[in-house]
Amino acid sequence: MAGTLTVGQLIPDVGTNLYLNAQQYGGNVVIGNATTQLFTFGTGSTLTANVFTANTVTSNTVTATSVTANVSSATVTTTALNISGVGIGAGNASIMKNRIINGAMVIDQRNAGASVTATTGQLYSLDRWKMFASVNSKYTVQQNAGSITPPAGYTNYLGVTSSSAYSVGAGDYFFLAQIIEGYNIADLNFGTANAETVTLSFQVYSSLTGTFGGALSSNGYGRSYAFTYTVSTPNTWTPVTVTIAGDTTGTWLTNNGIGLQVFFGLGIGSNYTGAAGSWQSTAYFGANSAVSVVGTNGATFYITGVQLEVGSSATGFEYRQYGQELQLCQRYYQLGAGFTAGWAAGSTTMGGIASLGTTMRAAPTATLTNTGAPPGANYSGSPSAGTTTTTYIPVTWGTNGLSQNAYGIFTYTASAEL
Amino acid sequence: MYKLNNMKDIDGKPVLVNIIRLSDNAFIPPDEANTDYQAYLKWVAEGNTPTPADE
Repeated sequence: MAGTLTVGQLIPDVGTNLYLNAQQYGGNVVIGNATTQLFTFGTGSTLTANVFTANTVTSNTVTATSVTANVSSATVTTTALNISGVGIGAGNASIMKNRIINGAMVIDQRNAGASVTATTGQLYSLDRWKMFASVNSKYTVQQNAGSITPPAGYTNYLGVTSSSAYSVGAGDYFFLAQIIEGYNIADLNFGTANAETVTLSFQVYSSLTGTFGGALSSNGYGRSYAFTYTVSTPNTWTPVTVTIAGDTTGTWLTNNGIGLQVFFGLGIGSNYTGAAGSWQSTAYFGANSAVSVVGTNGATFYITGVQLEVGSSATGFEYRQYGQELQLCQRYYQLGAGFTAGWAAGSTTMGGIASLGTTMRAAPTATLTNTGAPPGANYSGSPSAGTTTTTYIPVTWGTNGLSQNAYGIFTYTASAEL
Repeated sequence: MYKLNNMKDIDGKPVLVNIIRLSDNAFIPPDEANTDYQAYLKWVAEGNTPTPADE
């Protein structure tokens, strides 16, 4: 027989357990308002259940074989949270969810905070951040340019400063890019019916206001998606979120080649812009009619906290430990040192090796530098690299015969950027 | 501008070790996944010729 038993107050004596076993007989136990299911327990209380469903829980201990909550808006405060059997991956990852490397602009191996002038040679500025320019010397990039206060929670930003008031022609382009390796976007399933929605989030600060633009693009620019965002207040950190439906067509690499490119426009000519909001089989570096940073002499565009993640909403920025972030960067560029030696007169060369600190994306381009007089080296000239691999640089040094036991320490740069 | 960098194998025949980019003396491996090597191949395809390797 169905029915309802409503009790106004149940006040057990201290130390007494209260058992409500309605479910055993086909009914439910509801405490509090039936809609909100509000449970509030005092200090030292324990809730034990086989299945627990609630919108709000305030308790010291909840023990259950299953807990269901409104996760999209829930806040969980706990001294210990143990999760077993939870898939850490697309959509709910708490670690390595950000496909952008160095999104907090902390690592700057090449320039150590010095300013870099953009050229048509497509230089890298801060680690993983590439500068594109169709004309030389129209903007500079520097870590923490202008020395403003970064947004709360950050210590660094990438700062763009316009070097002139350049009128962008139809075929011109000026933009920042992060080129993501195919391995790191393989689970997005781009180019298939199962393509994942992604969300790009970042914080931006500019002396200019208006509608700014950017784009996502595939390897070879075969597929592009232009996006826009608004900066309403000048010289103020503005959080930006852009959600992009995954591309169900096109060719997307999932190997060590170019997987997905993320562009932030600084002035893009009409040959390379499109309407925001849809995937097209055209090379877009930005959106139509977006703000041109290079169009105003001295204009600034600062950015940090860049995150690209699976899902239709932005979650908190994924902070990584410095060593982790550096190691991620070193897959594409690294600095280091090596040693060569040759014993006894009559040897024609010294031989040695530099073992790379991190396996690189591809066999790297190497530059080698003699560290100089002893204790760095007792041999003049410059070392030469052999055919590099993803894990080491073979080195020879000297071609005219050694007159003594010789040794040399050299520094190297190794680049396997995309 | 580029220069070929060879070494001799056990039979004394030259083998390409890498390509030297003369602007910064960088050693570019002949790896098609290396973007600098891709740029070199593009440069050659445009009709340019690298400086021969030293004998």
